[in-house]
Amino acid sequence: MRLPREGGCGCTGRMATAPVIDVRDLNVKYGDFHAVKDLSFQVERGELYALLGTNGAGKTSTLETVEGHRPATSGAVRVFGRDPRDRREVRPRVGTMLQESGFSPDLTVRESVRLIGSLTGRTDRVERLLGVVGLAHKAGTRVSQLSGGEKRRLDFATAVYGTPELVFLDEPTTGLDIQSRDALWDAVDRLREEGATVVLTTHYLEEAQQRADRIGLMHRGTLRREGTVSELTRALPATIRFSPPAGAPDLPLPAVPEGGGTFLVETPALQKDLHVLLDWARDHGVELRDLQAGPTRLDDVFRALDGE
Amino acid sequence: MLAIAQGELIQIFRNRLVLVTMLVMPAAASAFYMYVQDRIPFLDVGGVAAVLVFLVVVMGLYTTAVTTLASRRQNLFLKRLRSTAVDDGRILTGLLLPVTAITVVQVTVILAVLSVVASPPAHALLLGAAVLATVVMMTGLALATAGVTNSPEHAQVTTLPVLLGVLAVSGWVGFTGTEELTVLKRALPGGAAAELVVDAWNGGAPVADSLLLLAPTVAWVVVAVALAVRIFRWEPRR
Repeated sequence: MRLPREGGCGCTGRMATAPVIDVRDLNVKYGDFHAVKDLSFQVERGELYALLGTNGAGKTSTLETVEGHRPATSGAVRVFGRDPRDRREVRPRVGTMLQESGFSPDLTVRESVRLIGSLTGRTDRVERLLGVVGLAHKAGTRVSQLSGGEKRRLDFATAVYGTPELVFLDEPTTGLDIQSRDALWDAVDRLREEGATVVLTTHYLEEAQQRADRIGLMHRGTLRREGTVSELTRALPATIRFSPPAGAPDLPLPAVPEGGGTFLVETPALQKDLHVLLDWARDHGVELRDLQAGPTRLDDVFRALDGE
Repeated sequence: MLAIAQGELIQIFRNRLVLVTMLVMPAAASAFYMYVQDRIPFLDVGGVAAVLVFLVVVMGLYTTAVTTLASRRQNLFLKRLRSTAVDDGRILTGLLLPVTAITVVQVTVILAVLSVVASPPAHALLLGAAVLATVVMMTGLALATAGVTNSPEHAQVTTLPVLLGVLAVSGWVGFTGTEELTVLKRALPGGAAAELVVDAWNGGAPVADSLLLLAPTVAWVVVAVALAVRIFRWEPRR
């Protein structure tokens, strides 16, 4: 469960109105390949913004440009009002969890956190961080001996070293078991309580759906949708699924058989149509097995992109 | 920068392969040359010094630096370092500082031993300048070579041209001097620096003339750095 955010970012006035990340008309090209096309988005202070996309959508190129790892072909990218490639000014305020770990196999966990942490320009206690990510017992272990999930946690520890104001989490939970995943999100929640801004990419759409304040959906290099989860899913019809018993009377709504005796109703008026269906079932004494009703899931928003 | 250097130092001492190529190989080769130095025809003490300096700098510094940089890039450690507040120059300096320092200490120890078992150098300062110029040149060439090296294994191939070339040139100068084919020998990478080591050790050559020998080495530094700027990569090819 996500903890309630206490008092937002605690910032007021002019500071609160300046976006932490401001991307305008970004284009990224590799030779003839146009990876990102005219992309614009802003991330506000204290927000958790999920940048999602299909494979090859241009997410990584966008993220690497915003992180300052890659020059923009054209357009303007500002992080805290500065060029993200200005490492000395920007990086002390930014923590980055890269998609692939990039630690030296011959250094221990403790040495890796201390080294990378000290280079961020922030200060923290290594033992505290190892406790946060559950690697205290591995402090003296070489990175080459860690499992994939442990490397992700090590990566997270270096990203949140010194409690940065902005954290990039690129596929943070890939390879993590459920306990580690919960622990990681708890740590993110604590960062957010202190006002941190988070940019997330993930293939686990339910994570984005549960946690993101806003979502940007990329497809083929452009931003196709942007908004809160509810704004994104509202645009598509809600769904009702059920299995009527054999020999039931004619259904009261247009429904599509999905195989295995299950029917699907797609509706822009979930409450009204659900009522119709339940009234019909009661009046005819019909039991609707496996009844499910709800708004469209983010998955369906994704699937709808391909049809465009 | 110093934190990066400290991390590198720890890694050098944990990696046996690096330790062997860096320390044992040059030390063993040096011991051999010192043992037979007064029995090799045409090779005076200055020549031995030149051969030893290049053995250590090329085998220790150059190959280790290329292998290290390729390895750090391959496992994305370079990208990781670039996600911090440290600029590129400091990252490279930090990465190469330990191996460079170890090489300088090695050369100093070996030349000190040589001056005891044979004869001491005539111009110690000039000798220091020659060694320093060689170290800077080989570091530049290492950066350039690292640009075309995809992995530490690949380094065994990509370092060969410079490794063999520079060793051959310095050996050629050490054994045969520069009285014949003077311009060619001085222009080739390592040639002028080797001659400077010979002159500094044996003495007899005017210091002003010897200092001019730094020019070709500095030119090779410029070439190496220009190449490195063009072809050094921070992330693996995708």
